[in-house]
Amino acid sequence: MTFPARRRWPIPLLWLAAALVCGWIVIKTPVVADLTLFLPRADPMAELLAEQLRSGPTTRLILIGLSGDAEAARAHISQQLAERLRASGQFSRVANGADALPEAELQTLYAHRYLLSPTVAPERFTPEGLRAALQQRLRELQSPLAVWQKRWLPGDPTGELLSLINAWTSGMREPAKRLGVWFSPDGERAMLLAETRASGYDLAAQRQAVTAIRAAFAEVSAGTGVALAMSGPGVLATLAEEQIRSEAQQLSALAMTAMVFILLSVYRSARTVWLGALPMLSALLAGAAAVDLLFSQIYMITLAFSMTLLGETLDYPTYLFSHRRMGETVTGTLRQLWPTLRLCVATTALGCLAMIVGDFPGLSQLGVFTIAGIIAAVATTRWLLPTLLPPDWTPPRPAEIGEWADGLLRPRPKLALALVGGGLLLLLAALAKAPAVWEDNLAALSPVPVDLLRLDQQLRTALGAPEVGRLIVMSAPDAETALRHSETVAAWLDIQQKNGVLDGYEAAARYLPSQRTQRQRQAQLPEREALATHLASAAQGLPFKPELFTPFLDAIATARAAPPVTLPELDGTLLGTRVGALLFPGERGWTALLPLSGVRDGAALSQGLPPYPGNQARYLDLRAETSRLVAGCREEVVARVGWGVLLIVAVVWVGLRSWRLTLAALLPVTLALALDVAMLLTLGERLTLFHLVSLLLVLGIGVDYGLFFSRPGADPFMRRRTLHALLVCCGSALTVFGLLSLSSLPALRAIGLTVSLGVAASFAAALVLARPLLARIEWKND
Amino acid sequence: MNKGRWPFLLVLWPLAVWAGDDALSEVMRMLAATPSVEAAFREEKTLALLQEPLITHGVLYYRAPAYLRKRTLEPQPEEFQADGDWLTVEMPGQGRQDFHLKGYPQLRPFVEAIRATQAGDRATLERYYQLEFQGTPEHWLLRLTPRDPQAAELITAIIIQGQGAWIASVETLEPDGDRSLMTVTPR
Repeated sequence: MTFPARRRWPIPLLWLAAALVCGWIVIKTPVVADLTLFLPRADPMAELLAEQLRSGPTTRLILIGLSGDAEAARAHISQQLAERLRASGQFSRVANGADALPEAELQTLYAHRYLLSPTVAPERFTPEGLRAALQQRLRELQSPLAVWQKRWLPGDPTGELLSLINAWTSGMREPAKRLGVWFSPDGERAMLLAETRASGYDLAAQRQAVTAIRAAFAEVSAGTGVALAMSGPGVLATLAEEQIRSEAQQLSALAMTAMVFILLSVYRSARTVWLGALPMLSALLAGAAAVDLLFSQIYMITLAFSMTLLGETLDYPTYLFSHRRMGETVTGTLRQLWPTLRLCVATTALGCLAMIVGDFPGLSQLGVFTIAGIIAAVATTRWLLPTLLPPDWTPPRPAEIGEWADGLLRPRPKLALALVGGGLLLLLAALAKAPAVWEDNLAALSPVPVDLLRLDQQLRTALGAPEVGRLIVMSAPDAETALRHSETVAAWLDIQQKNGVLDGYEAAARYLPSQRTQRQRQAQLPEREALATHLASAAQGLPFKPELFTPFLDAIATARAAPPVTLPELDGTLLGTRVGALLFPGERGWTALLPLSGVRDGAALSQGLPPYPGNQARYLDLRAETSRLVAGCREEVVARVGWGVLLIVAVVWVGLRSWRLTLAALLPVTLALALDVAMLLTLGERLTLFHLVSLLLVLGIGVDYGLFFSRPGADPFMRRRTLHALLVCCGSALTVFGLLSLSSLPALRAIGLTVSLGVAASFAAALVLARPLLARIEWKND
Repeated sequence: MNKGRWPFLLVLWPLAVWAGDDALSEVMRMLAATPSVEAAFREEKTLALLQEPLITHGVLYYRAPAYLRKRTLEPQPEEFQADGDWLTVEMPGQGRQDFHLKGYPQLRPFVEAIRATQAGDRATLERYYQLEFQGTPEHWLLRLTPRDPQAAELITAIIIQGQGAWIASVETLEPDGDRSLMTVTPR
């Protein structure tokens, strides 16, 4: 029988229109790369943290290591590279140990020396203090190095500029120097540190910075054997993107080829290939469009996760192809399969519903994507595919499966019991033996390849100082309050540093004192007459020319009346950039950061922070804090999955109206999940969000297997067809996800491993368990 | 200068250069043949900042090919050592500081003015300075003008006078009029 052609047209047209609309929406969706979306939005600590992770000074750092060739060559190239990068203007700071401040910056410091210098104190300007200073300057003049310093002498006999330069170059604990530049402790790598002007999450800008460094390095290192290594949040993101893209492309091309090969060899029909791809395509478009409409942007990581969840949609057309038989229309087959198929989709969709509710934007997006995608996929299979196939089409090589299948399908209660018992034992043993079940390090969630992470760690260790994982954060209504508060905390930190609690710290107040402090310093500067008298008596017997120090007297007089230096005045200078990275305005007032190095007692720091009226400072251990939040997120996922499971049970019961059937459909997947987790732990994996989300996919697929194996009223012939369909589904899932598990990227590996193990376990469990649980009478009646 | 003498000088110029070049090579050869030198120095710095010159005394020690030590004894002890690419500065109360000359290229011309001259290493000298030679191998004067503009901001010229293989004085002229004269006597 044939349909009039006219009646077959509306549905494909409708589909095409919908696909185009979705595609258009998707193209306009910004894809955001950001890990912080898996942090809850309500937690104040989390907010601070997210801000730090997004734009804090730590994200702007690029760590550079130069290895190979001779030590002198590395030092030389370090110096040349630093000069080039400074000249490029892309970096607010390039440090390699041989930091010399450019002339303009020296002039800025010099101009404000009496307000900014930490060594300004009344005793500096007494006759005794001045005499000691003048004697010191005289000693310095004797040295050949005096050619660089002597020009400052008439205006700065007390050496305030020197104090400022010292403050500029010290600060954090410095790496060891060799040949005048930073080196790793073993001397193998010359180290540099560059701070980009752009945020670490501005991937385009970071890519530019990385390109600039590579180009500059290529120029200065030509003809030497020196090799470049780079790391830092932005660099990792850039390099990871490159590596992920190439690896994902290779693996997906391989997986694609494998899928095509499987479909072709099973059904001997090219049509199955492109028809089989349609539900998946619909799912992708619909899912992405739904996320875009609801959230107006899509996170890269959500996209990756969701694609995984869509693995289930590959199975829908397979169910159709394998269940086709002569003498039945395509629509007829679909009608027969529909109750089961409908239930498969309902279970997955409801399982994901639990993900949507709540304040984890990443999880919500994931849920929306999967639900929209899976519904689109099943709708495509149900209504679009029949219109594209001749009504009585069967694959050229219809699902043929021999008598052996009946043996395979025969209920084996003992084997089932053994499998359940064995599975539970294995899970218990694995849980008891595993050193740690969960991985709560946010870095492990990052899609960065392992070797890049290792390099990052090496460079950080080598540089020592800039591992700014621990810091003190404070917020204040205005910059002045923040600076005053930082000064209080800095004074306390100085004591802690002497007590060995930490090695060093950075603070904006170190470079730009609060206006109050500057006024106090002003008040300590003597009047011109008094100073002139003190100076005259101090200079007695010393060979300095009379009137030489007139610029000094003038400078003090000017400084006494000068308005305090504020942040806007430092705009556009290196000093301003460094202060700006540590003190910046936000949505609610100002934030000051005091990055700490070499912290040995975090508890002492978090508990002992001195109070400041009306303000609060917090000690933040980024690593511990992210771990806490990731653990929180993971617990949230586990709880959601629990709710999802309850919903699934309810739906299956509503669909099947029989406790026995429900049990038959769901027990296999439960066992499969247990086996999956047990195997993962035995393999030494620590479970991350990637594993958890993959387990959700296993849950979805496993429920489908259970439902199909326990389909009520199926005759032995139909059962063989089902076995065929499930073999194809399981085989293709194993191929695709097995390929993923070979990846060097932790995320792809986790997904691939979890799903391929889970699919295999689901199939075995469904085969062995689903049947015996059904009425054995039904079998005997056949 | 008398205008009429110009053509004459121009004619003589290549000849003078050739003669100077020959003598410079001879001096360099003699200096290069010296394995080590130990000497006392007296340095007189005339600075715009000070009413009277700053006078220091000390000892110099050189060992071929690349070791030079300048130890000031009075009035304030201080020591500079250049060994290969390393420069070590030691001052009382400030400890010891090591600089690698490749990391601090601005220090290099100061070191090489004396060390490369003493070593008879003309190639190195030519890299940092323009050389002007006057006199004879027995009694010569070598004027070094820095090539690097940054160095030229700090030094106008360094004038070294000597007799045969012996460097007798080193005079440093700075753009601001400051100068220092180091006279070297055998020890």
